[in-house]
Amino acid sequence: MISLTNIEKVYRTSTIETLALNNINLHIGQGEFASIMGPSGCGKSTLLNIIGLLDAPSKGSISVGGQPVTSYSDQEMARLRNQRLGFIFQSFHLINDLSVLDNVEIPLLYRKQISAAQRRQMAQEALERVGLSNRVKHFPKQLSGGQKQRVAIARAIVGRPEIILADEPTGNLDSVMGNEILSILQGLNNDGATIVMVTHDEAMAKKTHRLIRLFDGTMVGDTTLTLC
Amino acid sequence: MIRHLFRLIWNKKKTHALLMVEIWASFLVLFGLASMIVFNVSNYVEPLGFTYERVWAVDFNNNQDTTAIPDKVNTILQRLKAYPEVESVSRMSSNFPFSASTMNNGVDYKKRHVMAHFYTTDAAFAQTLDMPLVAGRWYTKADLGGKYKPVVINRKAQEALFVDENPLGKVFSNFRVVGVIDNFKAKGEFMTNAPAVFEMMDGKNTWDKIYLVKTKPGTDAMFEARLVKEMSTMLVGWNVEVNPLIDSRKNQHNLTLVPVIIFLIVCSFLLINVALGLFGVLNLSIAKRRSEIGLRRAIGATAKNVSWQFVAEIWVLATFSLLFGLLFAVQFPLMHVFDLASGVYIGAIALAVGIIYGLVTLCALFPSRQAATIHPAVALHEE
Repeated sequence: MISLTNIEKVYRTSTIETLALNNINLHIGQGEFASIMGPSGCGKSTLLNIIGLLDAPSKGSISVGGQPVTSYSDQEMARLRNQRLGFIFQSFHLINDLSVLDNVEIPLLYRKQISAAQRRQMAQEALERVGLSNRVKHFPKQLSGGQKQRVAIARAIVGRPEIILADEPTGNLDSVMGNEILSILQGLNNDGATIVMVTHDEAMAKKTHRLIRLFDGTMVGDTTLTLC
Repeated sequence: MIRHLFRLIWNKKKTHALLMVEIWASFLVLFGLASMIVFNVSNYVEPLGFTYERVWAVDFNNNQDTTAIPDKVNTILQRLKAYPEVESVSRMSSNFPFSASTMNNGVDYKKRHVMAHFYTTDAAFAQTLDMPLVAGRWYTKADLGGKYKPVVINRKAQEALFVDENPLGKVFSNFRVVGVIDNFKAKGEFMTNAPAVFEMMDGKNTWDKIYLVKTKPGTDAMFEARLVKEMSTMLVGWNVEVNPLIDSRKNQHNLTLVPVIIFLIVCSFLLINVALGLFGVLNLSIAKRRSEIGLRRAIGATAKNVSWQFVAEIWVLATFSLLFGLLFAVQFPLMHVFDLASGVYIGAIALAVGIIYGLVTLCALFPSRQAATIHPAVALHEE
């Protein structure tokens, strides 16, 4: 599904060069639920950004669905992100001035072929999926952290992407809320979505199918987990 | 996307209230200025209706001399005509072309009441100012014998008084129409082409002592000096003043243009202030919304989409402000404020709306391009 070959990411300033990722080779197969773990600053988010085509590697190549995408134009990358990828962030990134329904609709605004009525319907379905169909007219400020993250999940899945990339989705939540969010992600995975999740939480990571460990920008472990 | 932006801006209306007031106020000031400009430009493009290039207005003032004025007035006319440098001479009332004087009167025809400019002139007026007639003829001395005073009217007066009727030979307010001219804008190009009536000066009139002298091509200031000297010698105790119409026209233009230019300068400063304010607010807004920009890029917006979103947002904001502004502006044509044609206000509204959209676009372009360069991974990581 997604293949990273010899990925290297170097951040350069006028005085310093930082090697954030070093020789990463990774293949995420269809339907996998993989988690990426490692200490702060080890390159987890950088790796997720590269997988999500939000950042370009300094070296190496990426392919999605067998298609090399490294040389894609901004427009092609945007289309790919819009149609095949869904993002969930630790700090939700909801737009406070838009209602829950309007927030969920945003990815569909960049698909010209979808009408306003279709957008509404798809957004409502996505909100139903995360159990928030009774909060459509609320604004993010009126929601709890767990509800906000569920809105963010609805926004990530509204366009029915094949791959969901979650950057510490439970990081800002208590354990109960965190487990709720993880259950939703597991449900999505059971329905066929490929999920890559960055987490600090060993317990959360162990509930996924595969655990990738990073240390100082290098992949130091890749374990297939057996769920109890 | 437009509906989405309208919703986004509407939900942020409290945050944007001052900005909207600023755009609204700018629109109203611009509307005022644009009304002046459209009014003057639409007047300017209307033909003047006469030529003035070689015409002098020679003003004779008899001061304390009250003896034999009718004879002297006649002698002046004959003497002026006798100069080889003079092509034609016409005597008229003090409201000669480009003068500061105005005479208005109401006239009636079949229950139609029209306010018209009145000019008292003689038989040589049309020839002196090279005014073509569109119907009938200019009056002659032979017309004075009738029961009604002969008049020539302009086309505006014809339309207002007679509508579709042929005005020739018709009588209104004790005047009989003998001819119709096209335009006559005595105060210059910026004057509205209003109804005008040219009344024939009779033999009893001794108080109008303005002579319009049309000189032959190549006549210079030497002749002007000689004319003043000879006339002053001939008419002891009288004052003689020569005003080339070309100079009077410049003065009239200044009377119109100076207030417009002052208003334009004040308005330009206001617009510069508004533009700088808008620019600053947009820059700040983009800095505050980096996370949103990152998110939009992550979920499918191209750099171009982001750039256009900020331009479109400011258009939406301007549209809200303009809708409120239009509520005021449309009252002007609806209520005929200042008695200007509706077209002037509609043109001014269109111009002001165009300038506001142009201005906000200009102010949004640079910040929106900056927004487009924001790297999504960096913007999302900052949160």
